[in-house]
Amino acid sequence: MSTASLGSYYRTIITVAVVLLATAFLFSSLRVDAWVGLKPFFEWMGTTWFGVIGTTWGAVFAVVQAFHLLAMALMGGAIIVSDGRLLGLGFSEMDEREVLDKSHTIFSRSLAVVLLTGIFMACGVAMKIYYLEVYWYKMLALSVGILFTYGIKKPLLAKSLDDISPLVRRAVALSSLVVWFSVAGAGRWIGFSG
Amino acid sequence: MINQAVYSFSVWLDSLESSTLLHESFYMYNWIESTHVLFLMVSLGMLFLIDLRMLGYAFPNVPASKVAEKLSMPMFFGFAVMIITGLLLFYAIPVRSGQSLWLRIKVVLLIAAAVNALLFHWRMKRSISSWDTDAKAPIGLRLGAVLSIIFWVLIVICGRLIAYDWFDCAHGQSGLAGVLAGCIDGQAQF
Repeated sequence: MSTASLGSYYRTIITVAVVLLATAFLFSSLRVDAWVGLKPFFEWMGTTWFGVIGTTWGAVFAVVQAFHLLAMALMGGAIIVSDGRLLGLGFSEMDEREVLDKSHTIFSRSLAVVLLTGIFMACGVAMKIYYLEVYWYKMLALSVGILFTYGIKKPLLAKSLDDISPLVRRAVALSSLVVWFSVAGAGRWIGFSG
Repeated sequence: MINQAVYSFSVWLDSLESSTLLHESFYMYNWIESTHVLFLMVSLGMLFLIDLRMLGYAFPNVPASKVAEKLSMPMFFGFAVMIITGLLLFYAIPVRSGQSLWLRIKVVLLIAAAVNALLFHWRMKRSISSWDTDAKAPIGLRLGAVLSIIFWVLIVICGRLIAYDWFDCAHGQSGLAGVLAGCIDGQAQF
């Protein structure tokens, strides 16, 4: 079946299918098998340079954590501006394309820093997070957030903005805010779990 | 003398029942802390975007005055929430917080950032008409934007370091660390 037959929303359909498959996986017994299978990987993470530095020097871990938060702040700022624009809550007299494109660039760069610092932090507390249920919720929320942004939001908004119904634009903006707030909330939850 | 006053005030706060209740309430304390951290995205997210606009890295084709005007409201709202939650976090653990070296550095940096922000706002208001649509602000304002980013990066780092107890008075600090943390000889430990 060609992608054209799915209409202009084929990426959205594929992304939703991936999320549904991932959700089905989470509720199946395969999830436990996968979790057990990942244990050697997490043990290895703790032995990497990142793991050794993160475990040995608390100050380095704390500074990296601070940069993780700062990148999150910038990422959150970009999300609020772009989704606020889509919801008509700000920048209404500015060129919508300009606001969305620039916000997305800032978002992508911040996300790269968030992921890099996140990997460092994960190595420093690898076995702790392996056994922490909320860490997996955060990874799920993060995966949904990335899939949503690059699989649905970005391709959808790449079209002529006048062709997208106001209802769809608002739905995308609200979904984006909810998804990324969930990621940030789950991240904080890790802070006071375990 | 200041250290003694801060210590006495903190001990008095600590003696209040609501301070103890807040400290010992797992959910309330964590909700306040989470709100404090999550509102970074509203306050610092907006602030960084304004600073990056001045430096020409964000929305260079949007007039600087518009960026500042539109983002200031959520930024101030975010800062207000952070100040309220920050004070509540202090109230929950007053003695340790009052003698935290990192919190003391953070407060000095917050004052410096506030002065820088006031100067920045004043300079911007005075000169905006001559460069509003330029991709970059004049050099003086760009310097202010860089200083703002540096101050806030350091503030967040100090905020993270408050959680670590390396310089806590409970460890019997001596020398400069003890003086800067405000440790009192023979003080009761909390």
